[in-house]
Amino acid sequence: MAQRQRKGTPPQGAGGNNTVFYIVLGVIALAGIIAIAYALAGGGGTTATDPIDLETANVQELYERATPLRLGDENAPVKIVEFADFQCPGCGVFSLQVKPRLMPYIERGQAQLVYYDFPLGGSHVHSFLAARAARCGGEQQLEGRDAYWAMHDKLYQEQSDWAAEQDAADEFVDYAAEIGLDRREFERCLRSDRFADVVTANRRLGEQLGVASTPTVLINNRLVGGRTIQDMGDQLLTILQEIVQEEGGAGQ
Amino acid sequence: MMPQNRMVVAAAALVGAFVSTYLLLYKLGHLGTLACGIDGGCEIVQATRFAYFLGVPVAAWGVAGYLGILGVALAGTRPRFVTAAWVSWGLLLLTGAAFAFSLYLSALEEWVIQAWCRWCIASALIASATFVFSLPEAKRLRK
Repeated sequence: MAQRQRKGTPPQGAGGNNTVFYIVLGVIALAGIIAIAYALAGGGGTTATDPIDLETANVQELYERATPLRLGDENAPVKIVEFADFQCPGCGVFSLQVKPRLMPYIERGQAQLVYYDFPLGGSHVHSFLAARAARCGGEQQLEGRDAYWAMHDKLYQEQSDWAAEQDAADEFVDYAAEIGLDRREFERCLRSDRFADVVTANRRLGEQLGVASTPTVLINNRLVGGRTIQDMGDQLLTILQEIVQEEGGAGQ
Repeated sequence: MMPQNRMVVAAAALVGAFVSTYLLLYKLGHLGTLACGIDGGCEIVQATRFAYFLGVPVAAWGVAGYLGILGVALAGTRPRFVTAAWVSWGLLLLTGAAFAFSLYLSALEEWVIQAWCRWCIASALIASATFVFSLPEAKRLRK
């Protein structure tokens, strides 16, 4: 570039031998335009619809990266941990029929629901994207609180519709708008790889803990079983009531 | 003497203008995501209120600032403006402001936002380079 210019060139000649300099500027400009065009065409980022490679086999690191969503008081004596897949019908039943029965305990500060994503993948082709969609909802506020649970519930309510779609992303954006979220901001989050790492970490943590199906529910580290989701819900409520009574039974 | 420092400043400013344009396009919603790795640092930074300055996206200030520096530096490579004082003053003021603003943004990332955006770091380095290579202008002004 400039170093190639002959020494001793008088000031009046400055700028007269700048061919190399302009070539360099041209190359930078061309490279920049191509890079921007590539990014605009979608090459700069794609919608993450599958788990990603976390490049970690360290369980401790997984624990740190696997962030659950929590509903209820952090100091609640009862922790109900759920590993769930948004596209799993059983999880839908749990969310729409069992969770409402838990809500009085959660609202009284007696129980906390700790929700981990466990997108099964396979035939549940949209489960990973749905988990990300709920978390994208959580980036916005509704009535003074983050909208994660509103989006969570909406996804389960509409599960049978979006599960059948070829591309569920548009449906998710519509749902976000329907519950009052900023459509553009939500879409920007969804059509990216935002939360792909967290959802993947949640899934891998579940695998490490032996989760093999959804919903897998634990109450204070006790696995809750049941032939049906309703059975599971009944057992869960029974154990919950027992613990609450042992803890003092306030509110029962 | 050929104003080689101005050529370097112009080239760096052009790169900076593209970096800022990329961030601005993201901020305006024309890009799905930033190529920023999976830590999400860029998006965290871009989602804060500090991504705006006087109501305008910081990236837009970056585009305007870098284009201004590019324009002055390019003019300064032309024979008729080699000795023009306004070129030296322009470069010192523009790159000094860019450098100071980069320091401010970097401090916010470290101590307030607590997340780093790689593209912002790149821009800060470019702004620093334009300032360093503009320092010889002070010597020119003294002549």
